[in-house]
Parts: sequence; C-alpha cells; structure tokens
Amino acid sequence: MTIPTKPFKPQYLILSLLAIFSLFSCNSKKEDGPKKIAVVISTLNNPWFVVLGESAAERARELGYHVTIFDSQNNTSKEAEHFENLIAAGYSAVLFNPTDSEGSVSNVKRAKQADVPVFCMDREVNSLDAATSQIISDSFSGCVELGEYFVRQLNKKGKYVELLGLVGDNNTWNRSKGFHSVVDLFPELKMVSQQSADFDRSKAMEVLESIMQSNPDINAVFCGNDSMAMGAYQALIAAGKEKDVMIFGFDGADDVMDAIADGKIKATVMQSPKKMAQTAAELADEYIKGKRDFSKKTSLAVGLVTQETIKEFGEFGSKK
Amino acid sequence: MNKIIKYVVFALVIGLSLYNAVYFESLDEHKKQQNAGVFDAKTLAAHFMASKVETLPAIDASEFLINIIKDVNNYAKSNGKKLGISDNYNFIIESNAKVVAIEDENVLIALSNSEQQIRIATDFIFGNAIRDASAVADIGNFQNTMDFNTISVELNNIVRETIIPSFKKEVKEGDKLYFKGAVKVNTKYPDLQYLKVIPLIIKFNN
Repeated sequence: MTIPTKPFKPQYLILSLLAIFSLFSCNSKKEDGPKKIAVVISTLNNPWFVVLGESAAERARELGYHVTIFDSQNNTSKEAEHFENLIAAGYSAVLFNPTDSEGSVSNVKRAKQADVPVFCMDREVNSLDAATSQIISDSFSGCVELGEYFVRQLNKKGKYVELLGLVGDNNTWNRSKGFHSVVDLFPELKMVSQQSADFDRSKAMEVLESIMQSNPDINAVFCGNDSMAMGAYQALIAAGKEKDVMIFGFDGADDVMDAIADGKIKATVMQSPKKMAQTAAELADEYIKGKRDFSKKTSLAVGLVTQETIKEFGEFGSKK
Repeated sequence: MNKIIKYVVFALVIGLSLYNAVYFESLDEHKKQQNAGVFDAKTLAAHFMASKVETLPAIDASEFLINIIKDVNNYAKSNGKKLGISDNYNFIIESNAKVVAIEDENVLIALSNSEQQIRIATDFIFGNAIRDASAVADIGNFQNTMDFNTISVELNNIVRETIIPSFKKEVKEGDKLYFKGAVKVNTKYPDLQYLKVIPLIIKFNN
C-alpha cells in the first residue's frame, strides 16, 4: 500500500513563512513599541480645555507614551464612543476630563472593567470606585475667596446676576455654592437673576442681554467661568454699561487676565490646567509602572486674581 | 355561575394591581426617608464642635508665631495640614492673651507669654481653616466634593452664630482671655503680620 502524497508546492512554504514572520513581527511590536495613553477632553471648543488636553498629552509624551487626544464635544454619547474605541484599541490609561459628573460614570466603569485606569482632570465623576484617581481644582474655596472680594467691592450692597455653567457639572455648583456661602450672608446684596449659559461666551452674551431688559440697574455679574465673563462684558458694551457693572469670572483665561489688567473685569480665580494635567499624566505613568495605591481625590489649590494681585500670576498657570 | 367567577377574578386583578399604588404619608416622614443615607454636614459639624474641640491638639500660639516667622516653609511642612496640592497650610493654635484693640472685623490680642500679637476674626468667618487644620474629614471619602465643602460651611456657621455674637458683645480692651482656634498661612505669599484666627473656644479670664 502506498500513501498518496501531494506534490510539494513552493507557494505553501512562502505563505507559511510569511504567516510566521508576521505573527512574530506583531508580537515584537506590541512589546517594544511605546504604550498608548488616551486624553479624552469634554470640549476643545474652549481654550482652557485645549490647554488642559495639550498639557496632559505633552507630559505623557515626555514620559515616553504615544498619545491621542479625543474631543467629546460636550456630548456624553460621543464620549462613550471614544471609550469604546480606546478600550478596543488597547490604550494603557485614560487622562479624562468628563462631560457630566453623573453621565460619565458608566464610561469610566467600562474602562475599569477592561483594566484601563482612568485619571479624571478638573471635573469629577460621582463615584469613588470608578476612576483610579481624580485631580480637581478647589473651585469651592476659590469662589469663597472671590465672594469675599465681591462683597467688599460692592460695599455689601447692590443687585447682581449670576451666570451658571453646565448644570450637570459639579464644578458649576461648587463654584456657585462657594460664592453664595459668602454673599448670601449680606442681605443688602440681591441676586435678581440666576441663569445657565453653559460655560459659553455667545450664550452668556444673549442671556445677560435678555436679563438686562427687565433688570437694567444691576451692579455686578458673577460668571461661573471666564468665557461667560467675556460674553457678559460684550453684552455690557452693547448696552453702554461696561463702566457701571462689575464682572467676576473663574479660570484665569488669557483674555480675562488682559481685561483685569486693563480694568475691564474685576476679578477671576486662577486654576492651573497645566499642573492638573501634568499630575494626571504622572499618576498614569506610576500606575503603568506598577503602583496601585492612589489617593481617590487630589485637590489643587486656586488663587484669586485682581488688579492688585495680577502681577503674581502667569496665564493658564499657577502663580509665577 | 360563570359570571360570578368572572367578577371575582376581575375584582382580584383590579385589587392586586391597585394594591399599594396610592397611599398617604406625612410630608415630614417622606422628607426623612428621602434624606436617609444622604450626608449630613450639619450634624457632623455640630458633633465636632460639641465633643471634639476641647480635646483637639493645639500648638502654643507663641511657639507657632516664633517658628513660622523664623522659617515659614519648613515649619508649615512639618507642623501644618493642607488639602491636596496647595501652598495653604492650616494650624490649630491656643494661648492665654490680653485684648489690645477692637477692630471692625477682628479683635487684636497680645499673647500672655510673649507679647506677640495676632487677630481673632469676628467677621468674614469663611474658608476651610477649621476643617483642614482639624482634619475632621478626608476628601477621599466623599463621592461629591460639594459634601466635603459643606462641612466648612457648617463649621463656620456654628462659629458665626454661637461663638462670635457673645464674644463681640462682651469683649473690651484689656480683657484677659484663653482662645483656641484655626489659622491659615499661605507659604508662597505669607502675610504674617495679619494672621487671622477663626475661634473655636474663647473663655474670659478676668
């Protein structure tokens, strides 16, 4: 009995060798190439968040990682898509600026289930066991300090408007409550309107213009961020009241810093996106290198910027 | 007969589906149930002020002033408490003292054992000096940082409502007193000539 044999075809050998080489080539790439870190930012339509994202990416690159920045466009669904993609693509860590303190929790939990650590920056998520660590500005204390300055500038009396940020963001309420924990104790300071302008400059202008139609005699505007402060300033210019109404912001954005130096805006609170982003990138690096014991939350101090103190500060950073 | 069974089954179905669908309870009871499990900063602050303040470890105010003036950075790092990444350090200090002057927002006092001066705040009682100097709470235990911040609001409210009014009413120049309180020092821009103590205890020793 003879065993039938097929004639040897050199194509089979070539194909087999190619398959083996490509397999080994894939493995060695995975082991030797740089690990990947994702930077997911709530919106890149605001210069403050651009600085946050770029600073995180820059520090992660300095630490030897391949970095991709994702823009969630203030949309939790878009953010969820980014998380699905980055988990599938095998990222080693996420430096994350959430769109919503409640709505973003499920995205962080999904990453955790896939063993991808998440480090929140600036905005927190309402969960203690989802993110590996959260680095947040002490917005409340900043607005307590701003509130004290506000009270003294207005001599403890007058009418004012508050423009809130995104209502689903904890920072909006930390800022507002810090401010009100001071200002509400002075009964002659009356808030005539409190409305959300979503941290957006154009919307702030529209909202304030509308408020001033029924309240033309306001003395001050407190804005939850600097973009809204600039929008409010534009609305006051249009109404010819920019010299009569004091504006207070939050962030330390460069245009507001210039406006404070020029006497157009009274004060802001400087928070440092660079420091926050760098800290998050360094914590992610420590995690990737094996550290597992992280403080759940790290608060980053902020500083009050006024015409008297502006020389101590650099733009978008901590005190010089 | 079939009709009776039909009616009984119908009545049972209606009865079961409506059972407990509508019920009445007092508004107070409802609010109590809603708040069950919600963090209560007011109670925490009241408990702290009533039972922890007396035994809270404090640095002698003269020793504090001598050392902080000598080397603000090292002394603050070794003896102060701060929240996260910050240049603001907080301390609990105590001393006997004599009232030097009554100002708009403070009472200026001279410490008994060194004649150094410091201020006790009587207005603008804000900030986190008490919470952070006493370490009454850890930010890492709070899902929502607002709850953690509310502790400071409640602690300051107690000082403002229970300690300050009687102090302001009774105090006069030359009074002798004992105080314990919280003080914040910014190590980057220290204003050591104008340190303000948020009082936790004030007892007159006249």
